Amino acid sequence: MKQVGRYLPLTSSLRIRLMLGAAVLAVLFMAALVPVLRGAFVIALEGVIEKRLAADAAALVAAARTDSGRLVMPAKLPGEAFDKLDGNLLGYIYDRKGKLLWQSRSSLDEHVTYTPRYDGNREFLRVKGAEQSFFVYDVEINLLGGRSAALSIVTMQPTREYEVMYRRFMEQLYLWLGVALLVLLALLWFGLTWGFRSLRSLSVELDEVENGSREGLSDEHPRELLRLTRSLNRLLEGERKQRERYRHSLDDLAHSLKTPLSVLQGVSEAIAEHPAQREQALVLQSQVGRMSQQVDYQLQRASLRKSGLIRHCVELGPLLDTLCDALDKVYRDKQVRVSRDFQAGLCVPMEQAALLELLGNLLENAYRLCLGQVHVVARQGDGMCELRIEDDGPGVPAAQRERILRRGERLDAQHPGQGIGTAVVKDIIESYDGELSLEDSALGGACFRVRLLE
Amino acid sequence: MKLLVVEDEALLRHHLYTRLGEQGHVVDAVANAEEALYRAAEYHHDLAVVDLGLPGISGLDLIRQLRSQGKGFPILILTARGNWQDKVEGLASGADDYVVKPFQFEELEARLNALLRRASGFTQATIEAGPLQLDLNRKQAQMDGGSMALTAYEYRILEYLMRHHQQVVAKERLIEQLYPDDEERDPNVIEVLVGRLRRKLESSTGFKPIETVRGQGYMFTERCR
Repeated sequence: MKQVGRYLPLTSSLRIRLMLGAAVLAVLFMAALVPVLRGAFVIALEGVIEKRLAADAAALVAAARTDSGRLVMPAKLPGEAFDKLDGNLLGYIYDRKGKLLWQSRSSLDEHVTYTPRYDGNREFLRVKGAEQSFFVYDVEINLLGGRSAALSIVTMQPTREYEVMYRRFMEQLYLWLGVALLVLLALLWFGLTWGFRSLRSLSVELDEVENGSREGLSDEHPRELLRLTRSLNRLLEGERKQRERYRHSLDDLAHSLKTPLSVLQGVSEAIAEHPAQREQALVLQSQVGRMSQQVDYQLQRASLRKSGLIRHCVELGPLLDTLCDALDKVYRDKQVRVSRDFQAGLCVPMEQAALLELLGNLLENAYRLCLGQVHVVARQGDGMCELRIEDDGPGVPAAQRERILRRGERLDAQHPGQGIGTAVVKDIIESYDGELSLEDSALGGACFRVRLLE
Repeated sequence: MKLLVVEDEALLRHHLYTRLGEQGHVVDAVANAEEALYRAAEYHHDLAVVDLGLPGISGLDLIRQLRSQGKGFPILILTARGNWQDKVEGLASGADDYVVKPFQFEELEARLNALLRRASGFTQATIEAGPLQLDLNRKQAQMDGGSMALTAYEYRILEYLMRHHQQVVAKERLIEQLYPDDEERDPNVIEVLVGRLRRKLESSTGFKPIETVRGQGYMFTERCR
């Protein structure tokens, strides 16, 4: 299996993806919002300016009088703004032909080229002057003080002030939108963390299921996940039942195949007593032996498959106790001493039944072949678990090791009915992606070394 | 020796019954655990051969029940699956050894004899007492190195007494060693056989190891090794 988790790109995290998506969405939304807000602000501000300029124009109109067809402006206007030389409010009055009739004191030092068109419309526009831009309000009047007149009243105001306000507004807008974006992302992060906590707890529960400390997933998950967790639970339950059913039918199959084979074995032994039929009896016996070996081997293989989901872990000490108790009973006369060298509580990453089979076969070999001492060593670390079973027996000559480790080869063909030895051991180890090797032991006998991936 | 064989497959049971009988054992062969429990309560067995895959009460439960009833005789299990789960469970429930099916009779016999020897405290295949030597494998007796002609029944009685040396052995135990069923039980036969056995032991060397314990039975007084 590929190692997952360390070298994945950042975008493989659902949370990062959602965050990125949300951030892009927020930025796009704000980018669309900015021109709208700016437009609204400009409209409002220009409206205010237009109103002010209109009011100023009205003030000029109110102040103007005609005297025998000529425009007469008072020396001093009601507001001071028009009269100040450095004032911000400029006023002009043109006649119908666009000839300047009057201009305010404040406009004397400004150079704005604007010629009103006398077309009966009110106008509000922006005009570029020599040094700065101006808002221009241009209104035409037909009557002045009850007499007919055709004048264009023009009021102007530099855009400087407006631009400052506009800039400040935009600064504020960007600032607040930026802050809003950050707050939004922070809230989103917390929200996602909260939302993903259920996924985390699901993953914790799955870990527990995998290491066998939990049978199935709980129902304490968000509604959206329940469909998934329930399906998984059904799957787990199904697998468990399937394995159980499998084991039972394998037991039945073994019993119903091996018992007739025992009968045949008995019959062949009876036949072998007649010298004339001895040869046939031997053929029969060897065939019975082969069949039984195949049945054993295939049944073992079938039942010791590695489970798909659950990652098993079995404590070595207690399992070794059980096996040694059993073997001590069988080899009582031999008084085998078993020494152990591993940390208390060491766990082997295997299913109980598989480890029992693996160790049972290796230990029985050791018990059978040793002179009186068996040594069991286990080491864990670097993602590996190593088991060594050593004995002080005759050992295995280097030339035969290869043959023994080959699949389907019996370790000791002289002991029929004693199981299928290393073939099963090798099969189990292979199904766990492990390795089996055979070496010399410091005790003088054989040393079987099993390496398993954690 | 009196053996209890529990095997549900009739042919195999019959095979075991005949072959073990040929080896000089008295065999109680039954098909299920209920019957086995009944037989075990009625008779004194020296060893039981139990198939693990019994119908009804399983072989494991049978062994547990026998042990909980205080039956201390060795138990050899026959298991169809040679897996360690079964072996370990069987041995933990109280069995002493196992044989995986299908088995060669010689192997079963060797393990059975080893268990019987172990149960009576002998580690060798021969039992010695003074000038007398008993070869448990060949079922023969020797006196001072010369072979002794014993009938099968005489040998069985001698072996049983020697296995239970320096203990009082009731006549009923000896009858059980000879006949499988109640109806054939006749205590006089034992007296006749023991009398003949004594004469044969005495005739050459004057060796008198068998004593009568009045009202209780017989005792082999010599220490056996």
